[in-house]
Amino acid sequence: MNSQRVDTRSSRRSGNWRMNWILGGILLGLLNTFAVATYASLGVSRNYVVVPNVLLRVFGSGLYESNAYLSQFPAGADWLLMLALGMVIGGFLAALLRGGLNRRSVPRLWRSRFGSSRPRRFAAAFAGGFLLLLGARIAGGCTSGLVLSGSAMLAVAGIVFSITILVSGIITARLIYRRKPS
Amino acid sequence: MTMTAYIIAATHVLAQAVSESFPGAVGGTDARALIIGLLTGIAFGAILQRVGASSYEMIVNMLRLKDLTIMKFLFLAIAVGSVGMYIVDATAVANIGIAPFYLLGIVVGGLIFGAGWALAGYCPGTALVAMAEGKSDAAITVLGGLAGALTLSLAWDWVRSLLIDPLNYGSVSIPEVIGTRPLLVALVFAALLVILIMWLDRAVHEKEPEAGGKPGLMKP
Repeated sequence: MNSQRVDTRSSRRSGNWRMNWILGGILLGLLNTFAVATYASLGVSRNYVVVPNVLLRVFGSGLYESNAYLSQFPAGADWLLMLALGMVIGGFLAALLRGGLNRRSVPRLWRSRFGSSRPRRFAAAFAGGFLLLLGARIAGGCTSGLVLSGSAMLAVAGIVFSITILVSGIITARLIYRRKPS
Repeated sequence: MTMTAYIIAATHVLAQAVSESFPGAVGGTDARALIIGLLTGIAFGAILQRVGASSYEMIVNMLRLKDLTIMKFLFLAIAVGSVGMYIVDATAVANIGIAPFYLLGIVVGGLIFGAGWALAGYCPGTALVAMAEGKSDAAITVLGGLAGALTLSLAWDWVRSLLIDPLNYGSVSIPEVIGTRPLLVALVFAALLVILIMWLDRAVHEKEPEAGGKPGLMKP
């Protein structure tokens, strides 16, 4: 089990300690059960619509009411929006308490293939984010709402979406990291 | 610290909107719902960060089939969640809302999402966590995500008539299709996932050289 190789005493001291995926998987499954028992299942991508809605409302634009898509969503805080805010805080605290923040802008693996250019990495990161939310909002969910929660609820949409994103992601990753023609 | 200012500013904006109710609100807008939502999110973000799901390398190496840690983590979380949710459903009130299945939108959306996943190395949730960790490319992914969501809102009528309305089967689930009790299906589904996880665990290890080299499932 790969994560256990990382979990050595020396890496623990240097702050690279990672939670075993088995423990993490059980905890996340229980957390989703708790979420469903209390309010709703875990989901994220809808908040990429709600945050612009909140901002449009705060800055007095009526677009969030007149647009046929935006008006389907809240322009204020609910359980699901607070979940996303909590994720930011939780990620921040977990990193801070276990080895500190990571201020790198170009991932190591990306650098090994495409060099250390920040604009290049940022362009890919932006395009990637654009496609992620375009696709997620067409399908009605992301890795959280459709894969983690939708599949667990045995929704046909969740299972078909999970298989599709894995196939598409694996093909795209192979194209991005294909061997350089020599 | 910029991140603290970030959180304070975001909380301030949210505080203005607290306790207002809107159509489409999920999970409630009362103070208790907001606090539980926040705490659940903190746990969610911390688990993702600790397991390494907010790491570009872990996501991309999963998609390159070189390190399946995150895939196994995700599948196990689905298995545990499935059984957990349907135990709650069988004994108490569970807020289970089945996502609607519209074939074209799910597949086209999934294909677009998968490409973005491999390009960004984050998904919408792990990008938030990675941004909070200080990774600036993840913050750019979040900005790209906001732009993508807004672009969809401008093209909504077109997308809806083309991808959402045709071949729309509504909120359909596997237990419904085969006409069996959901908890029974969840148990079988979880067992199949555990078998898949064990197979993935072994498949990668068998192909993995003892030292150095490039481990992988597929031959180049």
